[in-house]
Amino acid sequence: MALKIALAGNPNCGKTTLFNGLTGSNQFVGNWPGVTVEKKEGRLKGRKDVTVIDLPGIYSLSPYTLEEVVARNYLLRERPDVIINIIDGTNLERNLYLSTQLLELGIPVVMAVNMADILEKNGDQIHIGKLEEKLGCRVAEISALKGTGIQKAAELAIAAAGGKKPPVVHTFGAEAEYALKEAEGRIGSLVPEEQKRFYAVKLLERDDKIGEQLQQQLEVEDLISGLEKALEDDVESILTNERYVYISSIIKECCTKGKRQAVSVSDQIDKIVTNRILALPIFAVVMGLVYYISVTTIGGWGTNWVNDGVFGEGWHLFGIEGIFVPGIPVLAEAGLQAIGCAEWLQGLVLDGIIGGVGAVLGFVPQMLVLFMFLAFLEACGYMARVAFIMDRIFRKFGLSGKSFIPMLIGTGCGVPGIMASRTIENDRDRKMTIMTTTFIPCGAKLPIIALIAGAFFHNSWWVAFSAFFVGIAAVICSGILLKKTRMFAGDPAPFVMELPAYHMPTLGNVLRSMWERGYSFIKKAGTIILLSAIVLWFLQGFGWVDGAFGMLEEEQLDHSILAAIGNVIAPIFAPLGWGDWKMAVAAVTGLIAKENVVTTFGILFGFGEVAEDGAEIWSILSASMTSVAAYSFLVFNLLCAPCFAAMGAIKREMNNAKWFWFAVGYQTILAYLASLCIYQLGSLFTTGAFGVGTAAAVLIAAMFFYLLVRPRREYGSRAVNVRGMAK
Amino acid sequence: MPLSMMQPGAENTIKKVGGKEETRRFLEKLGFVAGGMVSVISETGGNLIVNVKDSRVAIGRDMANKIMV
Repeated sequence: MALKIALAGNPNCGKTTLFNGLTGSNQFVGNWPGVTVEKKEGRLKGRKDVTVIDLPGIYSLSPYTLEEVVARNYLLRERPDVIINIIDGTNLERNLYLSTQLLELGIPVVMAVNMADILEKNGDQIHIGKLEEKLGCRVAEISALKGTGIQKAAELAIAAAGGKKPPVVHTFGAEAEYALKEAEGRIGSLVPEEQKRFYAVKLLERDDKIGEQLQQQLEVEDLISGLEKALEDDVESILTNERYVYISSIIKECCTKGKRQAVSVSDQIDKIVTNRILALPIFAVVMGLVYYISVTTIGGWGTNWVNDGVFGEGWHLFGIEGIFVPGIPVLAEAGLQAIGCAEWLQGLVLDGIIGGVGAVLGFVPQMLVLFMFLAFLEACGYMARVAFIMDRIFRKFGLSGKSFIPMLIGTGCGVPGIMASRTIENDRDRKMTIMTTTFIPCGAKLPIIALIAGAFFHNSWWVAFSAFFVGIAAVICSGILLKKTRMFAGDPAPFVMELPAYHMPTLGNVLRSMWERGYSFIKKAGTIILLSAIVLWFLQGFGWVDGAFGMLEEEQLDHSILAAIGNVIAPIFAPLGWGDWKMAVAAVTGLIAKENVVTTFGILFGFGEVAEDGAEIWSILSASMTSVAAYSFLVFNLLCAPCFAAMGAIKREMNNAKWFWFAVGYQTILAYLASLCIYQLGSLFTTGAFGVGTAAAVLIAAMFFYLLVRPRREYGSRAVNVRGMAK
Repeated sequence: MPLSMMQPGAENTIKKVGGKEETRRFLEKLGFVAGGMVSVISETGGNLIVNVKDSRVAIGRDMANKIMV
């Protein structure tokens, strides 16, 4: 019979590492039904009949956070055969709090005490036998990081799965026990015998969600008020306290602490890294290094290799002269000619598919290097500190420090950036982060910046700089503006977050995380971009000449279907200074993928393939519009709705069609208005031209500043919604 | 005094955890219970990193104000 093992534990206790160790690569990642909490399932290594389910990281089984509800619904309804409760051995007291609750569920539990290696190093000792006796379940000592003891934990779990329901060993104080017994009696046969304890506790805690699950309403208010009167506190606090009291009582017997250093290494690092004065400079240096390495050196070399080698003429294997490997386009062209392929099909494959997809895949090396560094910073514990450092600043304009990590990832690719917003617990903070993350220029927007900077501004450094500045300003202004609306009113959720001790992550975990994020980018190249490259090729290659529909010569581009579509939408963008159909089409193809903008210009101005920064078309481009218009074009493309893949991510993470349209609409309208103001006011200053558009722009700008500085209205206080950083 | 006023290196016993019920429950789960010990590892502008029940918790000033030591 198939066996189900559920992994439960606090965030940051090594649960994911254990899960990876137990299942290897046999994993399926999805969402828990109806919510955007990640669900991971896998098969136990070497045991096809055993499924391992990774529950969200939780601190307790209370009903206050999504993760806790998801986890306890699973445990109550699906009833896995056994729970492996992973516990951070360096922090027994806090971790055992969840354990005492898991033990009440009536499901066999096996404890896996993690960080055995660190305990040994500290000279701490946990007496396993004693702990087993006190908790009434089997205990295994493991090190998830090094992979030791994992097998034993799995074996214990499989053995325990068949066994009988373990008795609940830990007890509360006499008054509480009396009330619990009484409540259990009232539950009667409504729930199976072994679950009674859990339901009794939850009923006394006035846990509505559990009360609803019982077939009939039970009256326990008399027990609750009796208990509260006797102990002068509310039941939940009483039980919480008694759990801690019980835990401290057994810890003394089960754990001998070695000589502790006065201050641990992790604390010493924190003293420097989160220091009031040094925190930001250190962070700037770390990030500077990360971007330098991933954009200019290692990642840059990789990208050049993909662009000029794999998708170009060809490359020398391992850099050795003489072993020349031709590029994919060269090979494909030769192959297609050899089989005598029709010319239009050659055009489709070479220019359309290989050109389009190749341009996108060129970013992969850079992005993978960047994601590898970010994954390392996350896994070693530094990112949690970054959120803490940035919180002080982000709070000033209505965002939480936790919003910063999605934005950092978003500088690589918006899709994993938006997905990273999941770790933000507060619903409003998370929605706001999803809406603003893509304002930060992602890797795919860099070619647009390079094109505009090169064609109009003599490659000035300030163009790229200002692009990031515009992105950051958009985030800040949106934060301030949105906080003043009813939807987002209220301060960001108070910042509380557990910080894992600094540690060296395993290579496997870093690479896994890098790949998961990078893959979401590669996947879009293979699906959306592939399809759009084909469609785009068709639209610009076919059209009507003298009333007849057919394939066009290169110089007949003005007659293409694409031109027809472009001419329809171009007037919309005329007030922004770029009403030419080619610009309009380029902006629209940018929705498919931002790197398409440069490629489209290349095709539309008749150059076929262009370099990444479009150097060939600089002169033509600069003749076709003013530099103010060009800058307005740049800003529009930076801020407007992101590419399809990122929009898909927004839709998934918002989990609500209305919110999705609001987000995309907000971004596009903001982009349109910002570009309008830039063009109209810019033209006023450069040429002195004043028209209806200028007046409108002045009005919009004035409105914008009013919205920005108007006092925040009070919408009444809202419930605070906090929970630990789920990882 | 509120936790937010403690100096780095200082150690104290938690007297009371205040604030909204939800907030308080959350803090209790993380180990901030009356009678427990708390020490401050580092401080920036009222935001703290503290040691509570052997784990490190970053806590914003608004929250730290609600914990009395």
